[in-house]
Amino acid sequence: MRSSDANTRLAVTGLGIVCSIGCNQKEVWESITHSRAGIARLGSRLAGERFPTDLAAEVQENLAPLLKASKRELRRLSRTDLLALIAAQEAIGQCAFEGELPARTIVSTGTSTGGLLEGENYYFDRLVRGGWRTPASHVLQQPTSAPSDVVARFHGLRGGVFSNATACASAGAAIGLAGDLIRMGVADVAVAGGSDALCRTTYSGFNVLQAVDEEPCTPFGANRRGITLGEGAAYIVIEKWEQAQDRGAKILAELCGYGATCDAYHPTAPAEDGRGASAAMQAALSDGRERPEVEYVNAHGTGTQLNDSAETRAIMTTLGNDVPTSSTKSFFGHTLGASGALEAVVTVLALQHQLAPPTLRLTEAAADCVLDYVPHTPRPMRIDHALSNTFGFGGSNVSLLFRAAR
Amino acid sequence: MLPSSRIPVTGLGVIAPGATGVGPFLDQLRTGRSGISPVKKFEVMPERATTAGLLNSFNAREFIPVLKMRRMNTLSRLGVSAMKLALADAGLEAFDSHRGDTGVALGTTFGPVQTSVEYLNEYVAKGASLAPPQLFAESVANAPGSHIAIEYGLKGFNLTFTQREASVLTSLLFAASQMIKGTVTRSVCGGIEEMNDITFSVLDRIGALARPCDEREEKCRPFDLHRDGMVVGEGGAIFLLETEEERQERGGKAYGYIAGFGIARDATASLSDWGSDAQAVVTSMRTAVEDADLDLAEIDAIFASANGSIRGDRLEYRAIQSLFGHNLPPVTAVKGYFGEYAAAGGLQLAAALLALREQFIPGTPGFESGEPEMHFRPVTHSESRPLRNVLVNSLSAGGGVVSCVLSAAT
Repeated sequence: MRSSDANTRLAVTGLGIVCSIGCNQKEVWESITHSRAGIARLGSRLAGERFPTDLAAEVQENLAPLLKASKRELRRLSRTDLLALIAAQEAIGQCAFEGELPARTIVSTGTSTGGLLEGENYYFDRLVRGGWRTPASHVLQQPTSAPSDVVARFHGLRGGVFSNATACASAGAAIGLAGDLIRMGVADVAVAGGSDALCRTTYSGFNVLQAVDEEPCTPFGANRRGITLGEGAAYIVIEKWEQAQDRGAKILAELCGYGATCDAYHPTAPAEDGRGASAAMQAALSDGRERPEVEYVNAHGTGTQLNDSAETRAIMTTLGNDVPTSSTKSFFGHTLGASGALEAVVTVLALQHQLAPPTLRLTEAAADCVLDYVPHTPRPMRIDHALSNTFGFGGSNVSLLFRAAR
Repeated sequence: MLPSSRIPVTGLGVIAPGATGVGPFLDQLRTGRSGISPVKKFEVMPERATTAGLLNSFNAREFIPVLKMRRMNTLSRLGVSAMKLALADAGLEAFDSHRGDTGVALGTTFGPVQTSVEYLNEYVAKGASLAPPQLFAESVANAPGSHIAIEYGLKGFNLTFTQREASVLTSLLFAASQMIKGTVTRSVCGGIEEMNDITFSVLDRIGALARPCDEREEKCRPFDLHRDGMVVGEGGAIFLLETEEERQERGGKAYGYIAGFGIARDATASLSDWGSDAQAVVTSMRTAVEDADLDLAEIDAIFASANGSIRGDRLEYRAIQSLFGHNLPPVTAVKGYFGEYAAAGGLQLAAALLALREQFIPGTPGFESGEPEMHFRPVTHSESRPLRNVLVNSLSAGGGVVSCVLSAAT
């Protein structure tokens, strides 16, 4: 069986993103540079439901026109699929292969809900109409394998498909394992990312866990009370560095490696000392050719009491107290299974533009959150290496390490 | 130094329809006794599918204390119970954490659908702000992996793959690759699947399931001329992987070795179908054999993915014929014992590992005669046979294909 070659350099040659602050990387980066959040009252998609909180980071745009697809193709897609296809379309467009992508192009997607929104509609329809009279065709896209399958199908990709549903760590894992598969020589190109649409179960579920802030989330803040739920999708295109150079592609950043660990502590709460998160960052730092200095951390930074304290401890243990760290969930909320991909794209943009995105609304940090969280406005600075953290239910931690393309 | 490029499977925990534990499961495979039976767990539609491979006799209380069990849904109970069986099978009570971290990679096709249904039932009854948080926490697909990690203190990677029928082979590929990379020294790998009335009725409504008709009883008929759909199943299967060095040091047994993988995707596949271009399956199988550093002639049996679906089985036998030509090794398709999705492909893998250890090929329940263009007859009854290497295929709806080569311990 082939082994992964740590000396294989991985180039990021495409980015795609859709979330509440923009439907492509240009719009998203513009919102970030202008410190413009995308958090508003919950829209009409979940109208009629009575939740304890009413804020969300929803994608407000009509999605169908953003995708080059026929009405027939669009009809059976879940909202999570649609978000995935829009982000993947941008990423694949940017990587600019002449003609088709290579035969050994894989798709790797992380999602926590898949087509759960449509599954809920089916459930409610069954309650009214009965199980044998409810059309089943619109839940065909419910499995969490659907986003990878639709992306591969729309782009005719033949290398293989990978789907994981590892709660909020899903997309980080999807990107990490895609990099490994290229390093193993199993794939030549990977379209890797994540997608998750807002749905009743997650909106209600985080509320009943009392993990949602009534106000827009304030990661690391003294008065933080939880997350703001969001939705979105993002993909990156990864390939061997030499291949990207040979074909004259624009290299946006290098994926140096990743680390994946588990707290083995609690089904929903992180270990308070941040040991699993720290181990994931350490593993990411050791995964590449050399152990680098890190100049910026895109934190998981959810806005919950437990995560932000534990993550701060983990970063201090791993990197010390001086590395600028921010949570871009303050812009586009917690996009759950997709968050690792959205934040990977933002991290690559930060490396490209040499600008650390800020943590919005952070007027007063909590007593135990003692890092430099880049409050309010973006900060121009030299960033050679950046970590992007994503942690999930079940204590799963993933940390991705990127390097500026120089 | 990196560990060797072949990873031994040193423990096996099996919860199959009608068989809990390696011994009873092996007995099923040897005697040809299927665990598929009429569905009593939930109501089925009139004149449609009526059978499935359900866990009618499995009782998680035999494995998990009641207080702990209350915090787990059905899938988590299956995962933790199968883990306990696997450790006992390997002669271990727990892993020694001083030897390095252990990763967990599980697979599930649909995840905890019943937990989501129960959450929505409470959501309707009590309102969106009063549904039980415990049910929400258990509704994530990776809850079983998390419980296994907590129960046994496993701090390596913890991922849950959801690539439909190929979920377990995908998790095995990931776990084995991480061990070769040296990220962890042991992995817990496998799959869990449950079947409830919603999943069953959706699959039945879209015509995916075998049904009774005037001339023939409802049956899973892999590769058979009269196949008309799959029979679904549930189950749990956990595989323990250790480095060869560690296995030898502690004198552990090896069922067989994970020797190579191939992956591909059939670009002709629709989102609910396996596709029709045999080339993808050929690529996957050929790559797996090459990855194992073997020739095609060294493959002594194929454990096919065939599940009784008309198009999926045709695609697979065409691919097998195309790759192996006239030098075709014996082919068997074991999903007639437990149904499709059972342990998300994990029971098929368990059958292949047991076959390697016991040097036999289980038969293909439900096969009588093939289509005219199918040039081989699958093994119909269990037969003893020397096996050096076997090829295991997983074809998933949507077009994803994963193939794996397992080698005998000798």
